[in-house]
Amino acid sequence: VSGLRVAVPKGAIFEDALSALERAGLPANVLRENGRRLVYQAGDTEFIVSRPSDVPVFVEYGAADVGIVGKDVLEEHRHNVVELKDLGTGRCRMILAAPESRAEEVRRAIRHAEVVRVATKFPDTARRYFERMGRQAEVIELHGSIELAPLVGLAECIVDLTATGTTLRENDLVELDEISTSTARLISNRGAYRLRHREVAALADAMHGSGETVG
Amino acid sequence: VQTRIRERFRLFGFREVLTPALEYSEVIEEHGLRDASYKLFDPDNQMLLLRPEMTTPIARLISQRLAGSPPPHKLSYVLPAYRRASVGRGQSAELYQAGVEVVGSPSPREDASTIALLVDVLQSLGLSVPSDFAVVLGQSAFYAGYLRHAAPDAAASVTAALAAKDLVTVDAIARDLPVDTAVGVRGIPRLVGPATDGSIIEEAGRFAVGEEARAALENLREILRHLEAHEALGAVILDLGLIGRHDYYTGAVYEAYASGLGFTIANGGRYDNLLKRFGKQMPATGFAIYLERLLSVLPEEVPPALLVLVGGDVEGIEAAAELRRLGVPVLHLSEDLSPGDAAEYARGVEAAWISYPATGGVKLATADPPGEFVFMDPETVARTVLS
Repeated sequence: VSGLRVAVPKGAIFEDALSALERAGLPANVLRENGRRLVYQAGDTEFIVSRPSDVPVFVEYGAADVGIVGKDVLEEHRHNVVELKDLGTGRCRMILAAPESRAEEVRRAIRHAEVVRVATKFPDTARRYFERMGRQAEVIELHGSIELAPLVGLAECIVDLTATGTTLRENDLVELDEISTSTARLISNRGAYRLRHREVAALADAMHGSGETVG
Repeated sequence: VQTRIRERFRLFGFREVLTPALEYSEVIEEHGLRDASYKLFDPDNQMLLLRPEMTTPIARLISQRLAGSPPPHKLSYVLPAYRRASVGRGQSAELYQAGVEVVGSPSPREDASTIALLVDVLQSLGLSVPSDFAVVLGQSAFYAGYLRHAAPDAAASVTAALAAKDLVTVDAIARDLPVDTAVGVRGIPRLVGPATDGSIIEEAGRFAVGEEARAALENLREILRHLEAHEALGAVILDLGLIGRHDYYTGAVYEAYASGLGFTIANGGRYDNLLKRFGKQMPATGFAIYLERLLSVLPEEVPPALLVLVGGDVEGIEAAAELRRLGVPVLHLSEDLSPGDAAEYARGVEAAWISYPATGGVKLATADPPGEFVFMDPETVARTVLS
């Protein structure tokens, strides 16, 4: 595998992504050296590090050939990229949650097709979830601390990611519904997938995951 | 670039057509395209669209205007289409498209010849194979035919996943299918490689079960055979998982990619069902090049020769006319600018030369960097500027 530019996400799945790339034989260890650089060259592979939600943007525009990103980000933004492989790591769930004391009230409101207010970092995912149920929701987009919104009356419920459920419990929130589950995915630019198919397919094959092989 | 593309289209016998920018909204049926269109209303409250693409307007034109003349119709266009671009995605609302359509022939040879024309156009613009671009070719009926034969119940969901380019979901669906079917469901979209490498088609032969898939593969073989004769095979990468964005492609489907650019610079294919919408059953094939994207990958152009001639009253007009007669492009400024201002103006219009009229010729200097003025007669100026 050679000559590819790989986009790696900062944050929760950073370590998993590095391990997966290393197992596939890429010199991803250089990314551990220094936490501040954005571009790393190792052999003829180039790594770039970005916010998870920006990884598919770099890949879609061809600024990176391949990237690793959570399915939750792909679901939200629907970038035009090829989804090659489920790496099986970084498992988390997209859920609908509400304060324990008002959980019944929110359930009833949704059942009766009342318009509920929902705070989330994933507005499209939230909107599609309510549309699928034939319900309307007033979606409020926040960029952090989603759990705060129902505690102070900004929203009645939240749509958010959870891995262990700890943050939910700490804020007395209970899960009302599971919207989807998410794991880390290997994605590729549409052009690179064809023009550099040999390298991209070899990388996908070498990355052990729960998905099937590409080739 | 538009001029050179038109030249190539004309050399291959394509007739250029113009269609109105406004179309009745019923003409465009694809939901994605309708959503992306600018909408207007006429005095009778009929909804109109600014055309979001060119293929459908041309299909309408043929069904209404060319119904009397014998097919095939070989038409070309170089026109803007309009799409609502989402903010922050670096797309403009007006996109120029240059393309051709061959309507009225079901032959795979016409698919091959349009692909070969696309390759010819891209090469004539200075792009080379395989370093700068490739045409990725699929056959949308092959996978669809295989699925309808081998896994009819899963066909719709697999096709939807593949259209979203989600191979993970394709695999997930395959896991629930019988083993021998799963191999094909998983394997066909992964048959990707240079068309000159015969093993891709050979591999595909393993999955050619059922009437439809066999016919589709035979069709693809025929296209490849003719592409070889067109000497365009080296530019083609096969991808049996390519089924096309619009659901109207019925056979060959292709996308051109430039290295380093993530988006297609051109796409096309066979759409035998589109004209049914206009009451005609006519097979058709063609492509569209996205000119803005193409421009972004073309080699930097040297600006054409241009001379800025400054002032000089009536003598200035005479000098300009004399130089133009010798083929020198002249931008004549009526005002008497200083040499410094003239040089700055010339740089702004990408002119390499500035000059002032003088008896029997002009005083000529380079604009960037500003050079010494030298007196020359018109013939010498023409030789210097045009060399």
